[in-house]
Amino acid sequence: MRHVNELLRRELAAYFLSPMAYLVLLAFQVLAFLNFWVLVDTLSDPVRTHGEYSSLNDPMTTYISSSPSFWLGMLMAIPVLTMRLLAEERRSGTIETLLTLPVTETQVVLAKWLAGVVMYLVLLIPFALYLPFLYYQAHFPFDVGPLIALAAGLTTLGMMLVAIGVLCSASTRNQLVAAIWTFAVLFCLVGMIPLLAQFAARTRTGWAEALQYTSILHQVAAFGLGRLDLRHLALHLSACVLLLSLTVRIVSARGNR
Amino acid sequence: MIEVDRLSRRFGSFRAVDDVSFAVGTGEIVGLLGPNGAGKTTTMRMLTTYLTPTSGRAVLAGHDVLDEPLEVRRKLGYLPESVPLYPEMRVREFLRFRARLKDVPRSSLRRAISEVVTRCRLEEVENRIIGQLSRGYRQRVGLAGALLHDPPILILDEPTSGLDPIQILEVRSLIRELGARHTILLSTHILPEVEAVCNRVIIIARGRIAVDGRLEDLRRESSIVVEAKGPADAIAPALQTVAGVDRVAVEGQDGPFVALRVQARDGRDLREAVGQKLVSNGWPLRRLDLSRSTLEEQFIQAVNREALADARQEAS
Repeated sequence: MRHVNELLRRELAAYFLSPMAYLVLLAFQVLAFLNFWVLVDTLSDPVRTHGEYSSLNDPMTTYISSSPSFWLGMLMAIPVLTMRLLAEERRSGTIETLLTLPVTETQVVLAKWLAGVVMYLVLLIPFALYLPFLYYQAHFPFDVGPLIALAAGLTTLGMMLVAIGVLCSASTRNQLVAAIWTFAVLFCLVGMIPLLAQFAARTRTGWAEALQYTSILHQVAAFGLGRLDLRHLALHLSACVLLLSLTVRIVSARGNR
Repeated sequence: MIEVDRLSRRFGSFRAVDDVSFAVGTGEIVGLLGPNGAGKTTTMRMLTTYLTPTSGRAVLAGHDVLDEPLEVRRKLGYLPESVPLYPEMRVREFLRFRARLKDVPRSSLRRAISEVVTRCRLEEVENRIIGQLSRGYRQRVGLAGALLHDPPILILDEPTSGLDPIQILEVRSLIRELGARHTILLSTHILPEVEAVCNRVIIIARGRIAVDGRLEDLRRESSIVVEAKGPADAIAPALQTVAGVDRVAVEGQDGPFVALRVQARDGRDLREAVGQKLVSNGWPLRRLDLSRSTLEEQFIQAVNREALADARQEAS
């Protein structure tokens, strides 16, 4: 654990010693700001708030879970944050000095993944920053349920998505290739699965239900409404364990293939 | 300290390292010499547990590389050929990071770092960013990183490649200094380097060991060049019977004269005995000469021998 801690510290330092982390953070800050603007605009429009399909009851839907810009940001940010993690070590050869130290492959992969998860959580901070303003300035009555569900659900979801990125980063020495693969996988998860579910809905209802269940868009929408389905969290965490153990296998194999 | 037993490594159908066996005792400085692509780096990577052998065993400081890789890693300091470092870190920060991962106790961390900084003469640059350092300094930072936990075994892959002549001399003297406390295995394709630093040399060519011996023995090794008039297939076996002869090789035919090379055991001078044998058999003598081979000649011979053996194997 001491080793993981030391490796994690270096990894986080490496993020902030390059301009990339700041750029991604800035981009997310802008996204959060725009989303908040839209949210305030929606809430202050009496016509829309009194309409039949009101978003007043669940402002988190507008703000995060059904916001296209939030999802676009995620699709871009996760590949960018994870692409460097292992691909760069392999390209520069530092993986050789790292894996001839008395540290195990599991420790290395775990530290890299944790660094990615921490960065992911840091990215979400701007979204949280605006909420106190809404509460104290506008005296908006918040429902605590969706907030807790989103916090827990987005965390486990992020763990899984970052694990996808780490796996892609381990499988190549080219950062760009890693980023593109991560993006492709995330795009399938976010965009293709709901589409497939729609196709399947007409003929195979069983499949449609299964696909709906694995669709992360659907999952986060549920979190945003305050429904914290523990099966979703279990799905995220078990996928995470599977992906990370695959990554450890890839790192252990090195040139042995 | 290092025991290697029939170690082999294939990449697909290519045998990078083929049935290599050798042993390095405590306190020895052994040079692994060979042309580029001979299998030096692959051998070292297997010893450092970075690559797993296809077959064979390697034991470092009593620990098998396959069974106890972490114990092996604890016992060795490794400097890879390209000296990979993290360019964004500062020298001291990098050394601290490596020391912590090498389980240097917290209480002696500061002392351990200061010691390698002094030993590798890094005082001037210890707060600079690694990415901005010159090749020579980077090499020394890599070496310092390998020395941090004072490991009994040091494995250095081409420690002087890419350095200027003055830096080369500095690194060599540093390695000689280190030899007093560590067992060192270093690889190089530069011959004078082996002569300057090592007390033993292992010449490796095409993945196989061609020569393994103490440097002074190799220097002493000599052969006798003989040219005599007579049938080659009679002279060679006759010379083989001379006491102290290791092997006899026919090198050429010039009219009725046969040229032979006689290799003596233990570097003995056998000119007298060889001459006597030839004359007593009635083969007139034209040339009888002692040739001391340099390390370079032996290196080239060894490499050619392996190339020839390979060609024969392919032909059959």
